Amino acid sequence: MRNGKILIARKAFNSFITLLMVVVMNFFLFRVIPGDPLMNLRNNTRVSDEYKEQFIHDFGLDQPIYVQFLKYIENVFTLNFGNAISEPLRPAMDIILDNMVWTLILTGTSSILMIVIGMSIGILAAWKRGGAFDTGSMAFSLFFYAMPTFWFAMMLIVIFATELKWTPSGGALEYGTRFEFTWISIKDMLSHLVLPATALTIGSIAAFSLIMRGSLIDVMTEEYITTARAKGMTERKVLKDHALPNAMLPMVALIAIDIAFVVGGAFQAEVVFDYPGIGWLTVKATIDKDFPLLEAAFFLIAVVVIIANLIADVLLVYMDPRVKME
Amino acid sequence: MDDSIHIPKDSKAPTKPRFRIGLSEPTIEKMRLMKKNALKMWRIYRKNRLGMAGLIILMIFVVMAVFSPLVMSLLSIIGGWDQAYGPFDQDYSTPKESPPSLKHWLGTDSYYQDVLARVVYGTRVSLLVGLVATAVSMGMGAGVGLLSGYWGGIKDDVLMRITDVFLVIPWLALMIVFAAVLPGGASVTKVVFVIGITGWSSTARIVRAQVFSLKERSFVERAKAVGAGDYYIVRKHIFPNVFPLMFANAILTIALSILSESTLSYISLGPDSSKVVTWGNMIADADAAFAIRQGLYLWIVVPGLCIVAVVLGFTLIGYAMDEIFNPKLRKR
Repeated sequence: MRNGKILIARKAFNSFITLLMVVVMNFFLFRVIPGDPLMNLRNNTRVSDEYKEQFIHDFGLDQPIYVQFLKYIENVFTLNFGNAISEPLRPAMDIILDNMVWTLILTGTSSILMIVIGMSIGILAAWKRGGAFDTGSMAFSLFFYAMPTFWFAMMLIVIFATELKWTPSGGALEYGTRFEFTWISIKDMLSHLVLPATALTIGSIAAFSLIMRGSLIDVMTEEYITTARAKGMTERKVLKDHALPNAMLPMVALIAIDIAFVVGGAFQAEVVFDYPGIGWLTVKATIDKDFPLLEAAFFLIAVVVIIANLIADVLLVYMDPRVKME
Repeated sequence: MDDSIHIPKDSKAPTKPRFRIGLSEPTIEKMRLMKKNALKMWRIYRKNRLGMAGLIILMIFVVMAVFSPLVMSLLSIIGGWDQAYGPFDQDYSTPKESPPSLKHWLGTDSYYQDVLARVVYGTRVSLLVGLVATAVSMGMGAGVGLLSGYWGGIKDDVLMRITDVFLVIPWLALMIVFAAVLPGGASVTKVVFVIGITGWSSTARIVRAQVFSLKERSFVERAKAVGAGDYYIVRKHIFPNVFPLMFANAILTIALSILSESTLSYISLGPDSSKVVTWGNMIADADAAFAIRQGLYLWIVVPGLCIVAVVLGFTLIGYAMDEIFNPKLRKR
C-alpha cells in the first residue's frame, strides 16, 4: 500500500501543477485580447465612473503587467474575480455558483444514466457477441455518437416540445418562478430536465458501451476465464464473478476522461434549451464580451474537472493492484 | 501482378530500365513494396463491412465537395430551374424564409438564398476545416509526443503537465475561451487554429506511450550504438513505427474536428455565414430566424443530417483502420 500512497501523492501534485498552469494560462489568455478589453466596462452606462475607477484599481489594470499578475494570483486564491460586466453589481463568482447548481443537476443525472445504460448495453453486446443485439446496439451508439449534441437537442425540441407538446421547450423552471421544495416545483423542474438530460445522455452512451464491450471481450479471452469454465461454472457465473470485475477497471479511467466530454455536451444542451447552467452562462459571457465572468467560469470549470479527475485516479489506484506496480 | 515496370532480379542485367522512367532502382523497389503493402491492407479493409460503408458515405460527400457547381447544375436541369443557384445567390422572386417549393426544394433562408445550394457548397468548408484542423493537431500532437517520449525526465514532465491542461479542460470551454480572446474575427483560419490547438493532447499521449515502449527495443539501441543521432533515430526508427497508430487516430480526429466546427458555428464563434457557408453556421442562421417555431424543419434537419453522415463515415473508417493497424484486435 505504501507504493499506492506515493502514487496518490504524485497524482495530487500533478493535479496541483495542472491547476497552476490553468491559472497562469487564464491570466495571459485574457491579456492578449485585441483592442481594449475594458471597452465594455467604459461604455456601460449603468454604473458610475467611481465604480469603474475602483474596478480598474482593484485589479491593478492601471499598473505594469507583473503587478497585475501578482494581484491576479491574490484574487484567485480569494476567489475574487471582480464583478461581472454585464451585471455590474454582482461578483462574477456568485453568478457562477448560482448557475453551477443547474449544471451539476443536469450533468449528474445524465452521467448516472449514461454510465448505467452504456455499461449494460456494452455487457449485453459482448455477451451475445456478433448477434443481432450486438450489431444493432453498435449501429445505434455510433449513429448518436456522430450527432452534434446541439442538433440532437434541437430535434428533441421539434418532436417533443413543438409537435407533441409533452414537455416545455426551454428553461429550468416555469418562467418567473423559483425552486421550492414543493411537489409542483419539483415536478416542474423534472419536466424541464427531461429533454436536456436525454440529449446529453444518448450522445454519450457510445463512449461507454463501446469501451465496456471491448474491455469485456478482451477479458473473456484470458486464460483464467477458460479455467473457470473448465471448472464447470455456468456462463452467467463466469461473467458475473470472474470477467466483469476486471472488465470494469478501464471504465473507471474512462469516466474520468469523459467528464470533459460530458461537460462539453452539457454546454450545448444548455445553450439550446436555455438551461441556465454554467455552459449557457459561458456562451452568454462570450457574446457579451464579459471577460471577468468568462475568466471566473473557466477557472471554476477547470477546478471541478481537475478534482473529479484526481478522485477517479485515486479510485483506480485502490481498485486495480496493477496500477501500483508500475 | 501485372507491373508495367519490369525490374530484373539481377541488377547487372543488360536491360536496365533506369533512364526510362528516371527513378533509381532502390526507389522503385521501395515503391513496389509500398504498393504491395497497400494492396495487402486494402484486401483486409475490404472485408470490413462497416469500414466500407463509411468509405462509400465519404466518397459521396467528397464528390459533392469537389463538384459542387456541377451537382447544382445537374439538379437545376432535373428540377427545371432557370439557373443553378450558388450558395450566395439571392432569389428575390421567392419570399425569404419560404417553405420547400418546386424551385427551392429545401426552401430559402433569411437572405433569399437557396438552402439546398448552401447544403451542397457547405460540404467544402466543413470537410476542409475538418482536414486542416486535424493536420494541425496531428502535427502538434506528434511533435510533443515524440519529443516528450524520447527525452523523458524533467522535459517530459513539463510537456505532459501542459498536455494535461488541454486534456482535462472540457474541449468546448477551451475552444470558447480561445475563440473569444484570439484576434482574427470570425475567419476560417482562426476556427481551424482554435480546433487544432484544442485537439492535439490525446494524440500526444498516444504517441508518447508508443515512443516509450519503442525506445527500449533493441533496434533503437543498436542504432544508438553505431552512433546515430537523436534526430536521425526519431525520424528513421521511431516515427515510422508510430505512424500507423497515428493514422487511425487522425481519422477519428477529423470526425471530432467537424463536430467541433459545427458546434463553434452554432454558438456564433465560427466563420461568418455571409462570406463562408458551413453546415454549422446554416443551422445557426436557421436558429436565429426561429426556424423551428416557423415550422421550417428541413432548414435545420438537412445540414444536421449531413454532419451526422460525414462524422459517421469518418468514425467507421477510423475504427476499421484501427482494426487493421492493431492486429491484436483482429484476432478477437
